[in-house]
Amino acid sequence: MARPSMDRIDARAKVTGAARYSADHKLPGMVHGHLVTSTIARGRVVSMDLDAARAAGGVVEIYTPDHRPAFQGALTGLAAVFAETRPPLADREVHYHGQIVALVLAETVEQARDAAALIRVTYEAQPPNSSFEDAKEHAVSPPSVPGLPLGVPIKEPENVDIKAALAASEVTIERTYEIPPRHHSMMEPHAAVAVWQDGRLTIYSGTQGPAAHAMELSGVLGVEQADVHVISPYVGGGFGGKAFTWAPAMLAAAAARELGRPVKVVTGREQLFTVTGHRAASSQTFALGARRDGRLNAIEHATISQSLGEDPGYRTTPKYYAAPNVHISMKITPGLDLPTATIMRAPGDESGSFALECVMDELAEELGMDPIELRMRNYLESTLKGKLPYSSKHLDECYRVGAERFGWSRRGERPGAVTDGEWQVGMGMATAVLDAGRAPTTVRVAFRPNGTATVGNATSDAGTGMWTVMAMTGARALGLPADRIRPALGDSALPFAGSSDIYGAVGSAATATVTPAILTAAREAIAKLAEHAATAEGSPLRGADDVRYAEGRLTGGGKAVTFGELLTLTGTAEVGAQGTSADLDTTHAYASYAAHFCEVRVNRWTGEPLLSRFTTVVDAGAILNAKTARGQITGGVLFGLAAAMCEEGRVEGATGRISNANLADYLLPVNADTVEFDVHFLDHPDTRLSPTGARGIGELGTVGAAAAFANAVHNATGRRVRTLPITPDKLLA
Amino acid sequence: MRPYTYAAARSVGEALERAGDGSAYLAGGTTLVDLMKLEVVSPAHVVDITAVPLRGIRRGPRGLFIGAMERMADVAGHHLVAEPYPVVAEALRQSASPQIRNMATIGGNLLQRTRCGYFRDPATPCNRREPGSGCPAVDGHNRSHAILGTSDACVATHPSDLAVALTALDARLSLRGAGGERTLRLADFYRLPGGTPHLENELRPGELITGVTVPALPWARRSTYVKVRDRRSYEFALCSAAVAVHVKGGVIREARVAAGGVGTRPWRLPAVEEALRGRPMRTETFEAAVAHAADGARPLARNAFKPALLRRTIVRALVHLAG
Repeated sequence: MARPSMDRIDARAKVTGAARYSADHKLPGMVHGHLVTSTIARGRVVSMDLDAARAAGGVVEIYTPDHRPAFQGALTGLAAVFAETRPPLADREVHYHGQIVALVLAETVEQARDAAALIRVTYEAQPPNSSFEDAKEHAVSPPSVPGLPLGVPIKEPENVDIKAALAASEVTIERTYEIPPRHHSMMEPHAAVAVWQDGRLTIYSGTQGPAAHAMELSGVLGVEQADVHVISPYVGGGFGGKAFTWAPAMLAAAAARELGRPVKVVTGREQLFTVTGHRAASSQTFALGARRDGRLNAIEHATISQSLGEDPGYRTTPKYYAAPNVHISMKITPGLDLPTATIMRAPGDESGSFALECVMDELAEELGMDPIELRMRNYLESTLKGKLPYSSKHLDECYRVGAERFGWSRRGERPGAVTDGEWQVGMGMATAVLDAGRAPTTVRVAFRPNGTATVGNATSDAGTGMWTVMAMTGARALGLPADRIRPALGDSALPFAGSSDIYGAVGSAATATVTPAILTAAREAIAKLAEHAATAEGSPLRGADDVRYAEGRLTGGGKAVTFGELLTLTGTAEVGAQGTSADLDTTHAYASYAAHFCEVRVNRWTGEPLLSRFTTVVDAGAILNAKTARGQITGGVLFGLAAAMCEEGRVEGATGRISNANLADYLLPVNADTVEFDVHFLDHPDTRLSPTGARGIGELGTVGAAAAFANAVHNATGRRVRTLPITPDKLLA
Repeated sequence: MRPYTYAAARSVGEALERAGDGSAYLAGGTTLVDLMKLEVVSPAHVVDITAVPLRGIRRGPRGLFIGAMERMADVAGHHLVAEPYPVVAEALRQSASPQIRNMATIGGNLLQRTRCGYFRDPATPCNRREPGSGCPAVDGHNRSHAILGTSDACVATHPSDLAVALTALDARLSLRGAGGERTLRLADFYRLPGGTPHLENELRPGELITGVTVPALPWARRSTYVKVRDRRSYEFALCSAAVAVHVKGGVIREARVAAGGVGTRPWRLPAVEEALRGRPMRTETFEAAVAHAADGARPLARNAFKPALLRRTIVRALVHLAG
């Protein structure tokens, strides 16, 4: 069966610049804000010399800790765990290098920036506690957060004695893997344009969850949620960094209220590294105990990280391999003078899969076993806890098809065995597992007199292709061509079901969440339309008792009319309905799977590890748009590979300063680092999850990609690099 | 960026006339504008020399002349460069990004400032930016920093790839200032930091680079540039090697070797050249010849790998030329 594939409906607007992102909005009388950030990591602002800045042309206002716009509250709920709870400019205390200490507002962006550079801040500095390295040994168990499973130890069985189980195993290995901090570095910075009218806030602010953003802003600003309108149709990348509300949007909103003028705040590239969240550094130790035949007997997984937000143990280890004895735990290093950590693409899954899939490779080597064979011997058929069966799992097929496509049989069993001139060639593989949930949500579908139909939900499209998937699903549900569907998203006034889906596009669940609700809403809307045709004054079908809808046309009483004609004749602006998707069937567990295969070439003289081939085989249920799905997977894989190849936030322990907080020194892969990715989708719709059969894929590519690379480097060179990224200096013989 | 005045010059004479205390010449702008935005440099006056006709790539009696205002991309693709001096073309093509190579000029390339993160962040001390303020790189994040030619005052790496290739080829600079014209070996142009890292080169106030002359060296057709870096494009060298060899009957008669990414200026390695001379063109020779390449190096806490990387980068370049 040919898989549906469609160009992005927003592509033309994006490449021509017609798509307006948050910072593109210009409002009459708008004031421009520029942030000033601290140059110490711990201490106190003693004084601020604002005279020169105030005297500079065009300056409207300067907010500081002593003179700040009013905040009535703070972030609550999940945001209190995953974002910065201290309001901006709260007081004179400095808690990290790069903390906001002033907001300059001026008539032009240049004037604001210019004046900001004239502000002289005097600090009383204290030696910061900014070294994660040093803090690791004092890590503590995290406090439990009600309703949040993160950081809670997992034991199977409950009374497991993991040390004894490891000791009783025929083969044991213990390895530690270190991952540095990482920054979202999305193309579009955090930016907001805020305007108040009659006590209501309208804010253009890039977000993954418009409704959650409205809720969080309303809490911070002390207004009703209904009085905050978030507009965010285009988001230039989020990756978890725009899942919650950060200071730039709060300041724009609060300043606009104080000044009675629209305010725009655009975060500078360097500032994004500190005033918005990042992925914290982590250190993971795995101990595996196995039988000689490869069957796992014990898995111990201990993580240390800066905060609770990304728990690799919870997210990864219970979902990959069967073992009778499992112990998973996490410790955190609270109180570091570092910027706030949040979630980042595949939170916990990325770091956890790197460590787990590397240690499995190490165990395979120890046992002299093919890495795929080792994984098949420990294949997981049901959940570790509760033994729920998986709804639709074809990971074994991913391994088989991937090995075939990639040519896994040509892999040299002995590391360093394959060379090509000055290049050492290696192959590695890794598994990706990603929970595939969905939340119930509400969609509104409505017919309009011009022959189009709207499909609306308060989700977002951070480059994922949601605009297009909504159009395609609406088209399928209504029997119309996709170009007659008008999707609406990225707006907090659009429908959503409530607390379960308020966060919009997170957790790779947006497509799985929204598309079933489109089907339900379309059914309801068609019923409403048929009723309208049979009863409305002016309808040619009025009085008919056999009205039917098909492909945009209504028939009944021997007559036919298109819905556009019908609504024009009845003088009706629209006929539509809301529909809410059914609850999830909880008798099964749901996950998406992939197998990655990676080839690298490492220079025998100078050690550069170059990616040369990559194959991913994906089992993610029905693929609703092959084109955007492929884009999601390749983007995800490269995102994961970046952690292996070059990405690394470098924190100076002595000063708390991030020494590479810019895109020249914080290395993201460039086109020259990539290859033509081979992506293959299996076709097993997961109809137990939802009627559309689609599971999430947004983060799936990211999971495991770094491990496939590291394992390939080991196969090429015999060197096992357990600290990311894998740079040439780590491979010099 | 601080406010400044701007003037465009159409001739060298006009440019020299308009330059003065605290002024800066603007050519491709790929370094200057960056540094002005960061407020690392804040010239009071900018003299735009984009229209000054310092162009031309031509063969002359002294070798190949390249006008200072030629763009990196144009020079890299020019047949008078690419065929007789592959090392120059390769160094240019591995520099920066296509967009930058289309804008940046040869004169500007040779005058680009170090990528040291402390130099580029005015919130930190830096002896190069503010004499006497200190050098956090000595004990800080110094993975990309130099191991050769360093001082306690400065360990910043010279960033130019082109300058490494030109140093190997013993190129000369043509300079013009109020006092008239002069030429200078590129090798004598860059200063070691010593106690005065803010004095980076021999350029006099207001003086302009008008061109570069690469001496005729027929055997430089056998030359190459190897650049080792953390990603495959748009990144500076962890280490690089510019190498040319003159081989007859399987024996190395002459060699030129210079390194980048390791020195406070482009680093010529005469001892390696000497150790190659008269030896057979094969890997054993190369490995023996580089044994002392990093003698005198002062590795820092985070770049202890550089001496080994330097040796291996040179060997890799030589292996390329042998292949």
